[in-house]
Amino acid sequence: MNRIIIGLMLALCVVVGAGLLGILDSRATDVFLEATRPDFQKIPIGVFGFQNGGGPEWLGGRIEEVLKADLQRSLVFSLVDLPGIGVKAREVSTADKAIFKQAAENGVSVLVWGKSGPRNGSADSELSMDGFVYDSGSDEVVGGKRYVGSTSVVRLMAHRFADELVFRYTGEPGIARTKIVYVAEHGNARELFVMDYDGYEPKQITADGFLNLMPRWSPDRRFIVFTAYRSRNTQDIDILELATGKRWTLVSMAGLNITPALSPDGNFLAFASSQDGNSEIYKLDTRTKASHRLTVNQGGDLSPTWSPTGREMAFTSDRGGAPQVFIMSADGSNVRRLTYEGDYNAAPAWSPRGNWVAYVCRTSQRLYKLCIVSPDGQKRVQVTTGPGIDDSPSWSPDGRHLTFSSTVDGKSHIYMVDTDGKNLERITFGGTHNSSPSWSPAL
Amino acid sequence: MTIRVATMGLTVVVGMLLVIQGGCSKKSIQSGGDAQSSDRGMAKSGGPAPSAMGSMGSTGSTGSTGGGGFDAPSATFPDLSLSSKPQDEPESGGLRGFDSVSGGKAPSEERLGGGGTMLAKVEPSESTARQIEDIRREQAKEQAASAEAGLRDVFFGYDSWTITEEGRQSLTQDAQWIKGNAGSLVKIEGHCDERGTLAYNLVLGEKRAKAVRNYLVELGVGANRLAVVSYGKERPFCNERNESCYQQNRRGHVVVRSK
Repeated sequence: MNRIIIGLMLALCVVVGAGLLGILDSRATDVFLEATRPDFQKIPIGVFGFQNGGGPEWLGGRIEEVLKADLQRSLVFSLVDLPGIGVKAREVSTADKAIFKQAAENGVSVLVWGKSGPRNGSADSELSMDGFVYDSGSDEVVGGKRYVGSTSVVRLMAHRFADELVFRYTGEPGIARTKIVYVAEHGNARELFVMDYDGYEPKQITADGFLNLMPRWSPDRRFIVFTAYRSRNTQDIDILELATGKRWTLVSMAGLNITPALSPDGNFLAFASSQDGNSEIYKLDTRTKASHRLTVNQGGDLSPTWSPTGREMAFTSDRGGAPQVFIMSADGSNVRRLTYEGDYNAAPAWSPRGNWVAYVCRTSQRLYKLCIVSPDGQKRVQVTTGPGIDDSPSWSPDGRHLTFSSTVDGKSHIYMVDTDGKNLERITFGGTHNSSPSWSPAL
Repeated sequence: MTIRVATMGLTVVVGMLLVIQGGCSKKSIQSGGDAQSSDRGMAKSGGPAPSAMGSMGSTGSTGSTGGGGFDAPSATFPDLSLSSKPQDEPESGGLRGFDSVSGGKAPSEERLGGGGTMLAKVEPSESTARQIEDIRREQAKEQAASAEAGLRDVFFGYDSWTITEEGRQSLTQDAQWIKGNAGSLVKIEGHCDERGTLAYNLVLGEKRAKAVRNYLVELGVGANRLAVVSYGKERPFCNERNESCYQQNRRGHVVVRSK
């Protein structure tokens, strides 16, 4: 018995030692430990109704629907069909211990329910939502939340409750309150919009009347950087402050000024410009405004994407003739090719956990789909399949999903998919063209 | 028992590693290579330049709220460093955890407002409307002038920016018109079909536009009369999903520029 413990402790020391060595070596690539194991067992969760105490007719149902979708997308929980396991109650209260017990005995770990209606039962326009959580492990109602606000924040109430649940069971803030910035056709122009991660509440943030392209978030979610066509004939890289609508031009050089990406600490803007002839990658220090060219060759270099530590970038280059994904250090040194399969690989996006680079891969049938590759090039997986041109992959901050544009349903729309290709979900339905999504960092 | 101790130990170690890694990732980068001159080759060349000559970082413009005008110059960028961010319980993303409801106690109220990211409303201002109207008028003018001049476009193969024999014939005609109309300015727009990525198609479109420009220069047109711009696959001539439409969109569009 003791010998086993000592053996295990020794094994732990080896693990710790190796881990520390990996960390101290600053040249190491940005491969993080997976915070979620591949065999992660989802937590079975059951959602009862949200009793409606005199609010708008849709209120309780809306909260339940949004919450269930959030919990499903979290990939932390698996939704249990309560009637399916014989738990017939629709509405419960904290006192309904027998029902909780019955659900727990049928394998449900967490139960959630609530009520909603006008705040304090009064007829003012404010709504409130109460949510409660029962945990079968402790056989107790472990807590509750009460949210108040106008009808316009009902979805947010459910999103916030979902994030609280994810946080309670994983220590991560969840993605239910994240947003996606994207490009939508508006009149004859392409403008920027921001929507909730599930496609609701789209809001227009530019109205220039021509082309605004390739938006990306600042790491603190306060700003969007993007390419703006000034006077139709030149492209600038602009930055827009979401809270005020204030706008600055960061880059205004001759030729293409495209694919901007702010570093994880916000101090550098990487982008592609063709001011020196062909498209090359530059780095702008946003504090000193000094710029520095990182790539030097005859091919086109573009689409830089930072590793989560900011030490490296992946990018597209056609220096070998066809576009492929490369990696380099953030100072432009140590360039190496990452993708070898196929003759068209582009639009890389480094995952927030560091362990994958997503990109658009052209298959042997000449279809443009999403692939992911580990930064050491050892593992490669094709994520999406079937018809449609997929483009512009962007990671969810929890690293479990990708949002992207696809023409699979005809017109270009925004979709999300799990990294294993499951749960493909279309999230924009209106409009004639939606593209270039970028997922916000977590709050 | 043993297994439980080992599991706990492992959990702690993994937790520690994650914390340490997280710490590393927030460290700012000190790169020695960024102290260079910011003036190197930054001036705009050719192209219908807007009011100010663009030098990187020095022609900022404070836009009006509503995504409107660009013209007021400003020398500053917003502070983008994360240290300037109000630290809003970063660990939990502003989440406060659940309240105890034992004994029938109600949870405390949490008031919800804008949803974490406040968005300014875009109100199409007068200047925006004027800008959109200007764009429309200028485009119509260019189109009319180009039709009158009889300028011909050049079409390309899939993934290609090589000018075909047919393209050379078109450009020979275009060059004659340009040379015969002293003072005229011409813009070459590079376009692509919908296949491939948005970003790479912008580069491909620029290669096509530059191939056209270079051939016109070979034919004796002054480079200073030729501007290039790439629209990638963002301004297609048709939207059908077949080769004849794709062919229409793989184009160097030659336009008389309105002055």
